[in-house]
Amino acid sequence: MQMSAQQIAVFLLSISIMLFAAKFFGEILNKLKQPAIVGEMLAGIILGPTIFGYLIPGFSETFFPQSGLIKIALDGITTLAVVMLLLVSGLEVDLSMVIKQGRAAITTSVLGIIIPFVIGFAAAYYSPDLFHAPDNNRIFLFALFTGTALSISALPVIAKTLVDLNIFKTPVGLTIISAAMFNDVIGWLIFSIILSMMDVSHSIFNFMQTSALIFAFIVILFFVGRKIINRILPYLQTKISYPGGVLNFIFILGFLGAAFTEYIGVHAIFGAFLVGIAIGDSVHLKEHTREVVQQFVNNIFAPLFFVSIGLRVNFITNFDPVLTIVVLILSFLGKIIGCTFGAKITGFSKREALMIGFGMNSRGAMEIILGILALQVGLISEAFFVALVSMALLTSLTSGPVINALLKDKKTKQLFNFLSPKNIIFTDILSKDELIYHLIEHTPNKINKKEVLSKVMEREEAIPTGIANYLAIPHARVNIDKPIIICAVNKIGLPFSAFDETLSRIIFLLLTPENKNELQLQLLADISKKFQSREKVEQLFELDTPEKFYSALKKL
Amino acid sequence: MYKNIGLALTFSPTGKALLKEAERIANLFKSKLFLIHIGKKDDAIIAQLNMFISDSGFESKFEIIWADGDPAKEILKASEYHKISLLIVGALEKESFIKYYVGSVARKIMRKASCNVIVLKAPSQEPKPFKKFYVSTEFTPEGEKTIKTAYLFALMEEADEFVIIKDFYIPGFASALQELDSLNELENTRIEMQNDEEMKLKLFVNELNLKGVPIKTVSLYGKEGWESSNYARLNSADIYCITSPAGKLNLIDRIFPHEAEYTFEHLPSNLLIVR
Repeated sequence: MQMSAQQIAVFLLSISIMLFAAKFFGEILNKLKQPAIVGEMLAGIILGPTIFGYLIPGFSETFFPQSGLIKIALDGITTLAVVMLLLVSGLEVDLSMVIKQGRAAITTSVLGIIIPFVIGFAAAYYSPDLFHAPDNNRIFLFALFTGTALSISALPVIAKTLVDLNIFKTPVGLTIISAAMFNDVIGWLIFSIILSMMDVSHSIFNFMQTSALIFAFIVILFFVGRKIINRILPYLQTKISYPGGVLNFIFILGFLGAAFTEYIGVHAIFGAFLVGIAIGDSVHLKEHTREVVQQFVNNIFAPLFFVSIGLRVNFITNFDPVLTIVVLILSFLGKIIGCTFGAKITGFSKREALMIGFGMNSRGAMEIILGILALQVGLISEAFFVALVSMALLTSLTSGPVINALLKDKKTKQLFNFLSPKNIIFTDILSKDELIYHLIEHTPNKINKKEVLSKVMEREEAIPTGIANYLAIPHARVNIDKPIIICAVNKIGLPFSAFDETLSRIIFLLLTPENKNELQLQLLADISKKFQSREKVEQLFELDTPEKFYSALKKL
Repeated sequence: MYKNIGLALTFSPTGKALLKEAERIANLFKSKLFLIHIGKKDDAIIAQLNMFISDSGFESKFEIIWADGDPAKEILKASEYHKISLLIVGALEKESFIKYYVGSVARKIMRKASCNVIVLKAPSQEPKPFKKFYVSTEFTPEGEKTIKTAYLFALMEEADEFVIIKDFYIPGFASALQELDSLNELENTRIEMQNDEEMKLKLFVNELNLKGVPIKTVSLYGKEGWESSNYARLNSADIYCITSPAGKLNLIDRIFPHEAEYTFEHLPSNLLIVR
């Protein structure tokens, strides 16, 4: 059986329509500062049975038929797309990072899986009708799936949120990202087990054989495969065209892994995901290669996949408001309680733990992939699928703004957490020592001023703390719990031996806890960065109240 | 700086060279040298050992510690008992595949020692001072201690080069592209972070107020631990200095290597582990 020239033309036209619509709506959503995936899904919903199918029935039937050769070809493409999506997701999972972050990340992740899983499992097991379970003989599997669906987290959405808020390198950011990685691995593992339990009748292996094979695959891949990949990559990068050769290598291995797991009765995506992890682990994989692979998959194949979902399912007739609300409540509750609790017991503050909880709550693309696969094998109904998609999108949309609200001040980083207008003073002092003495007088009474003075002066004598553009930052690490910052704006310049040989007029006294080197560095860097432009700093001298000075400093 | 120095001694081909290297280091620090030998103590062995030592051209005073049992464990136990503050061992640049997971004597000592350790990759019977120091650091009190320890060492060796390296990595960073369409935005964010890191490293080193050997600072993006050690390897460092891993490293850390484990897996040069 071959496609006629006309069918091929229609097929190619369909793909181009899908890509165009996906990009168009994706860009609109991006402009609105929302995830592009929401736009891509929207494009599918508009092109598919939900809108166009209803308004212009001929259109959908011609371009996106529900049967025939064109459908087979399109299905082939979307399978390819989903395998690639999981391959690149795997590339970004860094298990060494999870091990390094250790207890906090793993506790957060495990509780963030167990609690939503139990909630989802119980709800689905005891009221399958509410979830429109399609097959009453498979309630157990259905409940297992529901638990898994509620417990998954999506790395890409989380990564983007962290980039936007610039909190990637903070303990909160690192915990969220490592917990999400661990969560991903466990989630896909459980899901593949469910899928292999479903497929028993079609598969050539029984459940035990499949489990043994998948276990062997993981062990060989991680003990031997990874080492071999680590040897081959530098060779490819120097001997074969770069990055072409490496890209090729990544996809060859990815499809091999996918083919193997599909053959043994676990879905292809699991193999692709595992191979992705093994390749991404290599120290020789350049950041540039990662970005190129991501660009390639995310601009061509991911949109095709997400559009195709809208083409398959009618989102209006299958929308069950009660079910959607139940799924939303269960997923928000389970994930946020689980992760927040996990983060809290490993030592994060309440606010930080909540940030971690909401960060982990976003489900995004992973949830949608999980849902569509379950729908394809007949494990869930379309109504439940629509509820899952709504939940995936809503959780992704909310996590960024909530974390943002919980952060006290995002752009200005640490500095303004510790500086307030009442710590800004205007002075008219004639000598450097006297000014430092005066600054220390302004610190809270509970600290040992004598000790602080001697430490600050000692540091000042070792290396003077003048920076440039009228700035000096005398500082010391002393016995306190939280940083103290006092800022003096002096009428005349004082000699702090600045690099640019100017006299210093804006002097920050910076005291930080003894063992927190990194915090001290961050605050020093934050303050220094504010004083890059001489002209702008000169404008600060005109200001006459601490409040005005404070807000001008923020805007620098 | 080190009152008691210990050397794990075997009758291996590199044993004689190790003796000479240990002698040089002990003289440099004016320390007492202990030779730790694992095996049963009998007259034949004692004679063989004395022969071996005099053959090597070793001339300084020393004391032999005898112990029997699991080599790595006994060496660590003996060095704790004799208050050894610097342990010297020889090690292969890389272990074979199986041995890597099981762990060799030298690797076990690197992972578990509670004192400072110098690991010599290619000891020579005519030892030369270390001239090129490469130090990997973190912005922590431990990182500070590593730099200070290495710097004192470098001063005594009258080193020519002292390079302080800080690597940083953002796991899962590229996956933000799935949501973030713009490659430029992502790269700019990374460059901004890198500038930030560079600035912090300069401030950090400045804080330590080190004078004597010229210092260079380098900030690198890549897997933490691997990037620095690879930099030391590419620049043919004489000795690469790291902070000893905080927790105990186990098999799981070898399966998913991070930080110090990358260095232990493939030694970039001679190694100083500071605890």
